[in-house]
Amino acid sequence: MELFTPDFGLVFWMFVAFIVLFFVLWKWGWPVIIKNMDSRADTIDKGVEYAKQAKEQLDNARAEAQKYVEEAQQRQAEILREAAKMKTQIVEEARREASEEAQKVMDAAKVSIDQSRKEAELQIRNEVSRFSLEIAEKMMRSKLSSDAAQKELVNKMLDEIEKN
Amino acid sequence: MKSNRISILMLMLAAVLALPFSTRASSGGDGGIDVKKVIFHHLGDGYGWEVPFSHVYRIPLPVIVRAEDGNWFCFSSGKLTEVVVTEDEASGKKHEELVPVIHTAERDGKQYMFTLAPEESAHKDKVVQLFPLDAEQEKTVREQAAGNRALEAGDGQGLEGYDEIGGVFYREYKPVDISITKNVLALLIAAVLVTLMVMGLARYYGRKGYKAPRKGMGFFELLVSFIYYGVIKDTLHDKAKKFAPYLLTCFFFILTMNLLGLIVIFPGGANLTGNIAVTLVLATLTFIMTNVLGKKHYWKEMFWPDVPIWLKCPLPIMQVIEIFGIFTKPAALCVRLFANMMGGHMIVITLVMLIFIFAAYGAAAAGGSVVISVLFTIFMLALDVLVSFIQAYVFTMLSTMFIAMGQEDGHEGHEKEIKDGKVEEVAVPASVDI
Repeated sequence: MELFTPDFGLVFWMFVAFIVLFFVLWKWGWPVIIKNMDSRADTIDKGVEYAKQAKEQLDNARAEAQKYVEEAQQRQAEILREAAKMKTQIVEEARREASEEAQKVMDAAKVSIDQSRKEAELQIRNEVSRFSLEIAEKMMRSKLSSDAAQKELVNKMLDEIEKN
Repeated sequence: MKSNRISILMLMLAAVLALPFSTRASSGGDGGIDVKKVIFHHLGDGYGWEVPFSHVYRIPLPVIVRAEDGNWFCFSSGKLTEVVVTEDEASGKKHEELVPVIHTAERDGKQYMFTLAPEESAHKDKVVQLFPLDAEQEKTVREQAAGNRALEAGDGQGLEGYDEIGGVFYREYKPVDISITKNVLALLIAAVLVTLMVMGLARYYGRKGYKAPRKGMGFFELLVSFIYYGVIKDTLHDKAKKFAPYLLTCFFFILTMNLLGLIVIFPGGANLTGNIAVTLVLATLTFIMTNVLGKKHYWKEMFWPDVPIWLKCPLPIMQVIEIFGIFTKPAALCVRLFANMMGGHMIVITLVMLIFIFAAYGAAAAGGSVVISVLFTIFMLALDVLVSFIQAYVFTMLSTMFIAMGQEDGHEGHEKEIKDGKVEEVAVPASVDI
């Protein structure tokens, strides 16, 4: 049968074509492709590995940042609390000092008031005594035209003063 | 709609069944077509390449032959045939026919005659060299031929070594023929295509470095990596790089030839991998790769396998089986690819021929068979695309395994058994003809 008997010409050309094709591709084709596919696969593997590491690092960094933020927040709260405490303390102190100061001022004022009052009293006393003396003098002049009456009155007056 | 379609089909069927039996006789006669001849013409090789829509015109290809006296001749295949136009007197229709003619070449004052061997010759449709006979020889040959005809009742082989062309007898000689036939040209086209693809990808890498190729190149690379990582590397491991060029070339060459064979017009259409010469060369190369590059352990397994002594010592049973196996493996490779591809082509052509066979039974039968044949043909061609890929893959995979068997080191005796099991397991579904 024609179909089952290999034709010499075709066998010859097939052999030649295949050998030439094989040689060309073996020399310049397949090794380049295989090398590139291999190295690209390696590159991709490395890239994935790198990305994984980078992600890990990023996660770590994020966690660390979170930690720092939390710490900072804690510190902040602490500082705020301290500040509040300090504030009340200061206010308290200020208040105390102020009241002390006020006390002092008041005390000083009291003293000065007392003094002024005493002075005023003294002055008034002097005034009064002067007025009374004047009054008395005037009265005396009018009333006590006699010596006897004068004397009696003087005595009476003196007694009164002594009593006082 | 659906019931309509069914009723049309029923009508067609009825029309076919109602045909009188006498019309069947008209098919295959003159005016009808010789189905067998058409099928074998499509499956076989030729000196010219058919062009679409013409039965007689061919793309001429170079014929290269070595004449009996050692001279090489190269001429166009167009010189071996002639288109004869005959006009039918009754209908006025022109009928074109391709008939072989004798091509005469002259060199150093000597005449060389070449022609396509006639149907009765043992070298039917191949280029043969003709030698004219002198009167005495002619007489004896004519007598012998007449005796032959009487014996074989008209048909059958003519007189061996002699051809009768136009009533004249010649002595025929089958020259060494390395013509660029249709199959050879298709082979070269396939080789060029594979080279372009591979070099294109290699150059792409040179230009773009590690950038992955896209589109067509990407698909090609996908196939390369599918075969290289999935088949070659998995089986041959560290020796993969050494054998990869051969196996990858095999795969892509076979795949390209398979797919080109499915294209109907010019660059394709040659039934290449369905030609036993092509698969024979491929299988032989795998055979050489396996055995020439086989390691010591491979030969030790062959001549002194690890089996009970009585199986190998007085009577070399295992050795005979093993040595037989060396040859059957590539033979199976050769026949599997050949049979699968040729079968696919044959089914498609037969399905198409059904139209012309049924055409003889009337218009209804012709119409019905056109629809059915075209549907089945499309289905078969689609299946053939799949088979093209599968057969290329199977050939490569089995070649890889055969080569891997020759490359074993022997420290891993148990692994061989596993691999042998794998070969069996894969070979069974592959040999199921699809």
